[in-house]
Amino acid sequence: MKHDPYSLTELIRNDDFVAWVRKPDERNEMRWRQFLQNNPRKKQTVESARRYIIFMGEDTGKSQPTSEQSDKMWKAVERHLRGEEEVKDDEIVEEETEPEPRKILSGWRWARIAASTVLFAGMASFSYWYYVNHAGQANRFGLTVIERSWENRVEKNNATARPMMVLLPDGSSVVLQPGGILSYEHHGNAKTREVRLQGKAFFEIVKDESKPFLVYTFGLATKVLGTSFLIDAPKEGKEINVAVTTGKVSVFALEGNDNAHDQVNSKELKGFIVNPSEKIAFSPESGTFKKSLEKVTVTESEGDISKQAFVFDETPVSKVFETLEKAYSVKIMYDRDRLGDFPLNATLTGQPFKGKLEVICSALDAAFEISGNRITIVLMSDQ
Amino acid sequence: MITSDTFILEPTDQQLWTGIRNGDEQAYTLIFERYHRTLYNYGSKLSGNSAIVEDAVQEVFIDVWRLRAKLTENVTSVKFYLYRALRRRIHVASDKFPVTEELTMLPDQEMPYTYANSETMLIQHESNSMISRRIQEVLSQLPERQIEVITLRYFDDFSIEEIAGIMGINEKSVRNLIYKAITSFRQTPQHFLVSVLILCLLIIF
Repeated sequence: MKHDPYSLTELIRNDDFVAWVRKPDERNEMRWRQFLQNNPRKKQTVESARRYIIFMGEDTGKSQPTSEQSDKMWKAVERHLRGEEEVKDDEIVEEETEPEPRKILSGWRWARIAASTVLFAGMASFSYWYYVNHAGQANRFGLTVIERSWENRVEKNNATARPMMVLLPDGSSVVLQPGGILSYEHHGNAKTREVRLQGKAFFEIVKDESKPFLVYTFGLATKVLGTSFLIDAPKEGKEINVAVTTGKVSVFALEGNDNAHDQVNSKELKGFIVNPSEKIAFSPESGTFKKSLEKVTVTESEGDISKQAFVFDETPVSKVFETLEKAYSVKIMYDRDRLGDFPLNATLTGQPFKGKLEVICSALDAAFEISGNRITIVLMSDQ
Repeated sequence: MITSDTFILEPTDQQLWTGIRNGDEQAYTLIFERYHRTLYNYGSKLSGNSAIVEDAVQEVFIDVWRLRAKLTENVTSVKFYLYRALRRRIHVASDKFPVTEELTMLPDQEMPYTYANSETMLIQHESNSMISRRIQEVLSQLPERQIEVITLRYFDDFSIEEIAGIMGINEKSVRNLIYKAITSFRQTPQHFLVSVLILCLLIIF
């Protein structure tokens, strides 16, 4: 019996293989894609090994505390924190001990409450992984999307050369440019909708005035109630650009800003207001804003989604779908023979991807189904 | 002191650790928030008594704050430090004294190749739900130390070296424990019997 270093049990124990499954990065991604290319017969074994590793992780991670237990443990720990302080500083300090920097932290308290969603997030991200790998979507578009989740957050890292569409739990859509990293909470049940961005992305946000939408970039928060806008936050310390296509956006610095807490939490838009077709630059170094004189123009130019108006006037469906496919980097499957020439009239500026599809589908009397970056349009009459 | 800027960027463990050493409560809260759940999860593999596990997790964190001034400046891994501390706590609490693991005395050689035969027994073409169920079944029957290793490796993402450090055994023993656990996934006789039974029924009807 010859010893096979890439057998199922060997793969499950291979450190580099485990790293690829659990913490994919560019290097191990390349190595194992290469391995699969050179050893196509190992595909099944590799898939099985991945599943074993993921399921073992899932199964052994099931004993996490309930949120009641978490609270109980935190209270015991906190008592010590406080108790010890009182002993140390005696009765001199009382109310004042409530430390000021806690303000910012309080926003994180909800994160603790949402503790029990951890497992769900893990499972969901696995099913995403499973989908991507098994449906062959990723390969079709030459995408290497790195997704991982920790606690209840999901991180999307666009390590591809093309823009990538990310659908958020609230129905909003984000087009993440190559090199961008976007993270968000897996569950939309928090008080606010919050995402973190590094890099460039175009946002189309579902209107929900009771739940402001916040984008955190290095030292700058962008807050909206429901609009479309582009953010470019290339690197820490570099200038951050926010350009608004529709609706109103407020931006504010997080550092050296005593009102930041209030601005994050209030239902209104406070801070520096950016209006439609305006553009603003924030310098993290000086903490200053600069309004650009250059107007944001929307045209029918293809490719750059932030500059597209999505205005259709007697436009054949085939052309409409083509525009959407290019803007969002998706593939739309539909009956080209029967629907292709159907003329559409619609203004879809600023609407999230799903919103756009809903409008188009209601005009066609059709339904849509999204799985990853493939959209299938089915006529109601065919169902 | 963490500024809001580093906060937004998800401060690293190392930054938080420095914060704790300087008495920053925020940093301390964040470390608790980041690790108490997975620590509890790991603790549950060491003791079936949830009260002991809860207490141990609390005490590990209380100690970190109490001893903050004496904490080493550069821990290689905060997570590693916490897990090792938790393991000791639970073992003390449940009266378990470090038993010399019989596995450490296994000869230092690779597992014989004949084990590779078992390879074919690992089912490769099963559906996800079947694999998942099989894993669940097998894991529930594994000895404590194998479960512990599997948890640290495939859920907590520790390296073999770190696991050895946490458990106080050598790396070879860690690898052996993992190997033993994985080979348990071979189809058990019961499964074989059930398949044969189904086959028989199919033939009969």
